[in-house]
Amino acid sequence: MSKSIVLALSLLFTPWALAAETAAEPAAEPAAGAAVEGAAEAVNWQDLKAGNEVSNISSLQEGARNFSNYCLGCHSMKFMRWSRMCDDLRVPKAECQANLMPPNAKPADYMVSSLRAEDAVAWFGKEPPDLSLIARSRGVDYIYRLFKTFYVDPAKPTHTNNLVLDGIAMPAVLSELEGVKTAVYKNVDVVVDGKPSVQKVFDHFSTTSPGQLTEAQYDKFLRNTVNFLDYAGDPTQVDRRSIGIWVVLFLLAFTGIAWLMKKDYWKDVH
Amino acid sequence: MADQEAVDLDRRKFLTVATAATAGVGVVFAATPFVASWSPSERAKALGAPITVDLSKLEPGMMLTYVWRKQPIYIFKRTPETVAKLAAHDAQLKDPKSSDSDQPAYATNEMRSLRPDVAVLIATCTHLGCLPKQRFEPADAELGADWPGGFRCPCHGSRFDLAGRVFNGSPASVNLRVPPYNFENDNTLVIGSDDAAVQGAA
Amino acid sequence: MASNDAASQVNQGAGFMGWLNKRLPVNKFISDQLLEYYAPKNFNVWYFFGSLALLVLVMQLVSGIFLTMFYKVGDTTAFESVEFIRREVSYGWLIQSLHAIGASAFFVVVYLHMYRALMYGSYKAPRELLWLFGMFIYLALMAEAFMGYVLPWGNMSYWAATVIINIFSTIPVIGPGLVEWIRGDYGVADATLNRFFSLHVVAIPLILLLLVALHLVALRQVGSNNPDGIEIKENKGSDGKPVDGIPFHPYYTVKDIVGVGFFLTLFAVVVFFVPTFGGLFMEEANFEPANPLSTPEPIAPSWYFTPYYAILRAVPNQRIGALLLLLAVLAFFFLPWLDRSPVKSVRYRGLWFKGMLAVFTVSFLALMYLGLKPASASYVNAARVFAIGYFSFFVLMPLYTKWDRVKSVPKRVSFHE
Repeated sequence: MSKSIVLALSLLFTPWALAAETAAEPAAEPAAGAAVEGAAEAVNWQDLKAGNEVSNISSLQEGARNFSNYCLGCHSMKFMRWSRMCDDLRVPKAECQANLMPPNAKPADYMVSSLRAEDAVAWFGKEPPDLSLIARSRGVDYIYRLFKTFYVDPAKPTHTNNLVLDGIAMPAVLSELEGVKTAVYKNVDVVVDGKPSVQKVFDHFSTTSPGQLTEAQYDKFLRNTVNFLDYAGDPTQVDRRSIGIWVVLFLLAFTGIAWLMKKDYWKDVH
Repeated sequence: MADQEAVDLDRRKFLTVATAATAGVGVVFAATPFVASWSPSERAKALGAPITVDLSKLEPGMMLTYVWRKQPIYIFKRTPETVAKLAAHDAQLKDPKSSDSDQPAYATNEMRSLRPDVAVLIATCTHLGCLPKQRFEPADAELGADWPGGFRCPCHGSRFDLAGRVFNGSPASVNLRVPPYNFENDNTLVIGSDDAAVQGAA
Repeated sequence: MASNDAASQVNQGAGFMGWLNKRLPVNKFISDQLLEYYAPKNFNVWYFFGSLALLVLVMQLVSGIFLTMFYKVGDTTAFESVEFIRREVSYGWLIQSLHAIGASAFFVVVYLHMYRALMYGSYKAPRELLWLFGMFIYLALMAEAFMGYVLPWGNMSYWAATVIINIFSTIPVIGPGLVEWIRGDYGVADATLNRFFSLHVVAIPLILLLLVALHLVALRQVGSNNPDGIEIKENKGSDGKPVDGIPFHPYYTVKDIVGVGFFLTLFAVVVFFVPTFGGLFMEEANFEPANPLSTPEPIAPSWYFTPYYAILRAVPNQRIGALLLLLAVLAFFFLPWLDRSPVKSVRYRGLWFKGMLAVFTVSFLALMYLGLKPASASYVNAARVFAIGYFSFFVLMPLYTKWDRVKSVPKRVSFHE
């Protein structure tokens, strides 16, 4: 009996163990060779975490403003409505219209960029992706890392590159805030096919011209923006958790009563 | 099969009832989201936002038809003569004072409107929902010599006057409904909101 | 059990119930199915999963009916309409989550239900047909889950459909034509989505309901097995009732309600707090719309298909890989005839069966895990080892169940208060 319970539980919770492992893996794989001592970055960029808090309304409001100012020019959020977003984020209607919405938008409109698809293709080579679900499809940490690892790369036609997404089509729009960075490489001895060779690997960033924000301010800016994207990917998540507590408590109570009933009936069975 | 220990039947009954009652509450809770899912979606609500109508081109005796929240809305201008005659046929009406009909407080008057000259009505027959037809000419051959002008529903023949009030002998029993509305200025009508301040902010 | 004496005769009742019972066997049905249906009294936790599977089926039907009210089939509308359900329909997010997570819950419950049958020999005579109906339910469920997975038309939906349908191309001669016929186009397309929708919401649910009905009728005919694998019908008391049996109602209805409570609590924790379950119940890549020009990396099927997927991938030959995948599923059908043991339950079997069951368990779980991993050499090699473990459980069964030194089975079930 007890053996069967253990088996049942291990079967039930196998997905948990797998989930934990799959979550850990993407970070671990590209890390080979990039871990460096004494680099300027205190934390390895692959280990950066967004650490956002989707129940923090003021952070979400900041994030919405950042999105409206820095992202909406090119990226749409086509599944999100201005009115819904401002209601959820407790932004008063007048303020929403004045600070967040483009002048010609109506509250019921979806949050769509005014950038035309053909212009985007002409300028950037591809259409900027819709950001409604980006936090769900890529994860918040991915977006956070992406915006921590833009750097100047003269080898690229756009003069911009990114550690997360090599050859990124998007320009470094946040460099006015973050500052302009270049990548500093170092040589590492590796063994390829049994032969020793030297490989150039990323070491750290060096800031060539500072931006408007300090690093801490920029991190906060990013965290708020990522937080907003997290909210937008799953706008009901805060409600969902608060309803969930009551549902689970109710079900536990039900199970308890049912268990007492079962015990009582089974007194008959000998 | 003699019971080895006495079964407390009261306790058993209590537990059974308690479980059943909790399960019943649970079923009601569980049904709530499914029932709620049929109510208008956020999109429908957003599309049901107030609409703005420009009245500058609307001449007396003419009518505009708009759709608000999937309902046709009749907007027409009444001449001063029409307005003056509206009180004359109260005896022929089922609800001349609109006491049993559905309209905002500011339209619970003889004109059934904020302003005597502009009428705003939901053009859904209060009988079974057809669209009443415009019959503005008085003394209509079909509707009789004493017809003061108004609307007739093609489905079941309900008749309404130029304030949307239903005539005796119609299958409909209450007057045409009036949507919430207000005037942003003399020539701008907002349908769907009766609060000018709220509308301005949205 | 004094409370049941009244129920032993079919009571037609008076008034409306009497009128009704003369025309429709309501009381007879209740009596046959619940009051006079004697189940062994020694069921353990493993016996919850049958009733739970029925519960999940009902939940899937209800949530599915509601999703169908809002979902818009079509390659340009499907993805958007799912997002519309999640964001704009009142509680649409909950209904959609219930259905998507319900699919995974279905397989959790069904796998545990099947495993119970493996442990206690519930597939053995006289329950062969019961087992076969169950296996057909499992097949229908796999088809239902796969087609349902395609409907949101995310990128994983698209590529899962592409890969799975392409497995049919390995069939000699007719393969390529068959694949084109299934898709209705030269690639997975709108036509594919439309026919999968129809099959998912109408055809397969009907088949499932029919099979579930047959499964239950067959169960009532032969009676439930139990953890001791003892036929309680063979030991009846002077009253003609099985000595080790108790009426299904009220004893197992009240017990199953407790199981339902536990299950729903766990289910609610997932639905409300970890709906994606780390990407296992809802994959990240499926939050991007279908894109025929970009395969998600890494691509893996839903967790409940990964044991078979790992077997497919472990074989360097496409055709043999597909054949082994098919055999891996079909192997379960032959269990009643592969097992030569005189005893049913693992409790009275010898070391051979216990060992092989352990090999099978480890292999199945390991293959499930490996199927989720990228196809690197070490994972593929590991999958080969576990595939051998998986098949040896079935292929060697006639031998080891004969060699096995079984214990003698007692007359009465073991039951502790």
